[in-house]
Amino acid sequence: MTQPLIQMQNVDKFFGSFQALKNINLEVHKGERIVVCGPSGSGKSTMIRCINRLEKHNNGKIFIAGRELTDSEKDIDAVRREVGMVFQSFNLFPHMTVLRNLMLAPQLVRKNNKSKAKETAMKYLERVKIPDQANKYPSQLSGGQQQRVAIARALCMSPEILLFDEPTSALDPEMINEVLEVMEDLANEGMTMICVTHEMGFARSVADRVIFMDLGEIVEEASPQEFFENPKNERTKLFLSQILSH
Amino acid sequence: MEAITGWWDDYFFATIVVLKIFMASLLLMVIFGLIGAAAKLSNSIIAKKIANAYTIIFRGTPEILVVLLIYFGSAIALTALFQVFDPSIKYVDVPPFWAGTFAIALIVGSYATETFRGAFLGVEPGSIEAARALGLSNIQTFIYIRIPEMWRIALPSFGNHMLSLVKDTALISIIGLNELLFVAEQATATTGKPFTMFIVVGLIYLGISTVITLFVMGLEAYGRSHLRAVK
Amino acid sequence: MSFDISLILDSLPKMLSGIGLTFQLLILSGVLGLFLAFVLLLMRLTEKWYFSFPAQIFIYVFRGTPILVQIFIIYYGLPQFEAIRESIFWPILREPFGCAIVALTLNTGAYVSEILRGAVLAVDRGLLEAGSALGLSRNQRFIYITSPLAIRLGIPPYSNDVISLLKSTALASTITVFDMMGIARTIVAETYAPYEIFISLAIIYMIFTFFIQKGFGYFENFMSRHVKK
Repeated sequence: MTQPLIQMQNVDKFFGSFQALKNINLEVHKGERIVVCGPSGSGKSTMIRCINRLEKHNNGKIFIAGRELTDSEKDIDAVRREVGMVFQSFNLFPHMTVLRNLMLAPQLVRKNNKSKAKETAMKYLERVKIPDQANKYPSQLSGGQQQRVAIARALCMSPEILLFDEPTSALDPEMINEVLEVMEDLANEGMTMICVTHEMGFARSVADRVIFMDLGEIVEEASPQEFFENPKNERTKLFLSQILSH
Repeated sequence: MEAITGWWDDYFFATIVVLKIFMASLLLMVIFGLIGAAAKLSNSIIAKKIANAYTIIFRGTPEILVVLLIYFGSAIALTALFQVFDPSIKYVDVPPFWAGTFAIALIVGSYATETFRGAFLGVEPGSIEAARALGLSNIQTFIYIRIPEMWRIALPSFGNHMLSLVKDTALISIIGLNELLFVAEQATATTGKPFTMFIVVGLIYLGISTVITLFVMGLEAYGRSHLRAVK
Repeated sequence: MSFDISLILDSLPKMLSGIGLTFQLLILSGVLGLFLAFVLLLMRLTEKWYFSFPAQIFIYVFRGTPILVQIFIIYYGLPQFEAIRESIFWPILREPFGCAIVALTLNTGAYVSEILRGAVLAVDRGLLEAGSALGLSRNQRFIYITSPLAIRLGIPPYSNDVISLLKSTALASTITVFDMMGIARTIVAETYAPYEIFISLAIIYMIFTFFIQKGFGYFENFMSRHVKK
């Protein structure tokens, strides 16, 4: 069996005296699509933010593509090149055009030259279906368009893994689908992804595995079918009844 | 360093003078600020125009100019006034203490009007609505809901106003008040060590600023104490 | 008490002849102060205590003491030391104008560096996280993300500081600089007409303040045309 792309072993994370993550053990293989769900404060965002070191785990080990994530700057930089992230609030750089947003990191981090960066950028803009917005500024785009740009921006770094932190939670309902469609396309093309979301329809159709977290722990892990039709843990059942009832 | 020894007394009393000016002008500044804010928030167009003019005038005029204008100007105005009653009066002197205090209170007060106005408007409309819905009278709403939130919002800026006030007291030495800079100038004439004398002034002002800053920080912490996260 | 219009008309040109010095004080101190502010900011932001600590002390001292005291220390105080009188800086520090520039520069430098620091802290953390996630280094994030945005955020408070600087230039008159304020005080001493002279001078300063504010307003709108919604 090939080595997992992501390995988290006995990971704990504390914010002061509050324990946000309790003994997290997780393996993600190349090509897997994972959806993480759970109530607010369950630690879902914290967990994925530990993977690209936006949060620092206190105990345990994290391995990305075989490389351990430590305090070393080199390790962190290496990891961040391979792990892309899409944020709930898009976080597009407001003072740069869409094109520049996409080209910045490839030029600065991968040291690509301008024309190569531009080529890559336009390619991914077409992928997310908004090549005509290249010279606009983020403030001129709708929420759905901004998030698609954010996805393209992450893709321009050709990451091995994409992390999604509640990508549609800040969108107006009519724009959620355009973003989910892009994410589904990516999933179907084999992108390894971990997606924290409340969109259960997405989980059912796209995920290989659904993970339920509560109070900092991974409570249940199963295939979507198992998860939605035959949840084993009481807390999982409670959560599902709460979110699926309306 | 020994140059200072004879002068500790004078510096001490001068510091007291500075503190007195600070207290007096603080009170006046708050009054001017509140009146100005009330005028800006009122429905009267005239009041708003006057209050805005107040802010514009003192925002755009150098502080030293205001001090000189009020000191000399009030002396002349009062002299003219008194001469109406008793033509033999040649010159009415306005004590520099009061002219100066009034001047700096006016100056910082103009900034305070904005601070107080912003604080009033910054109160959560939701809280006011809730108070009304619960049946609290206007006065009760003002005292129990508005004011607690207002002083917390205004505090950082108000702290800066207090610091401005302290530093502006130095300007009053220009019109001859026996405060710190004035004492330093006299001491320089005798000791011939201007640097030492003026540094002491600087250190005293720094000390006063520090105390005020710490005081404001303490108040800010008190103001936030209800926000401590529940364990 | 009369209001002598002819006196005003007579004095205006004299006071306005001081504009040159007022503007020199403003522009020179403003520009030098801005450079100083950037240097102080970078010193303040590093993790190296031997840069950060002195910067903090400097800012603390210059913001915590009256400008007038700072001016007096530099103009009256420094000549006390032989080392100063014999240094290469003496030609500058001997002159009232030079001392005024030095004092105003140091003072505005301290205030503006705090403004810039506030602006840097105000940049949305999410944008910096996005930069981290993309693999940008600390320096790259500071240059490409923080700085452009902090500059835009800093414009309104900076414009206030420029206005304060304009008002502070009037203090140079206390050490015999003949800017507009200096000339005005001389005229008042001769004519005993503080109202006419000082009020007209106040109006002149207010007009300048108005134009400075307007100018910065346009500048801010221009810079923020894409950033603000």
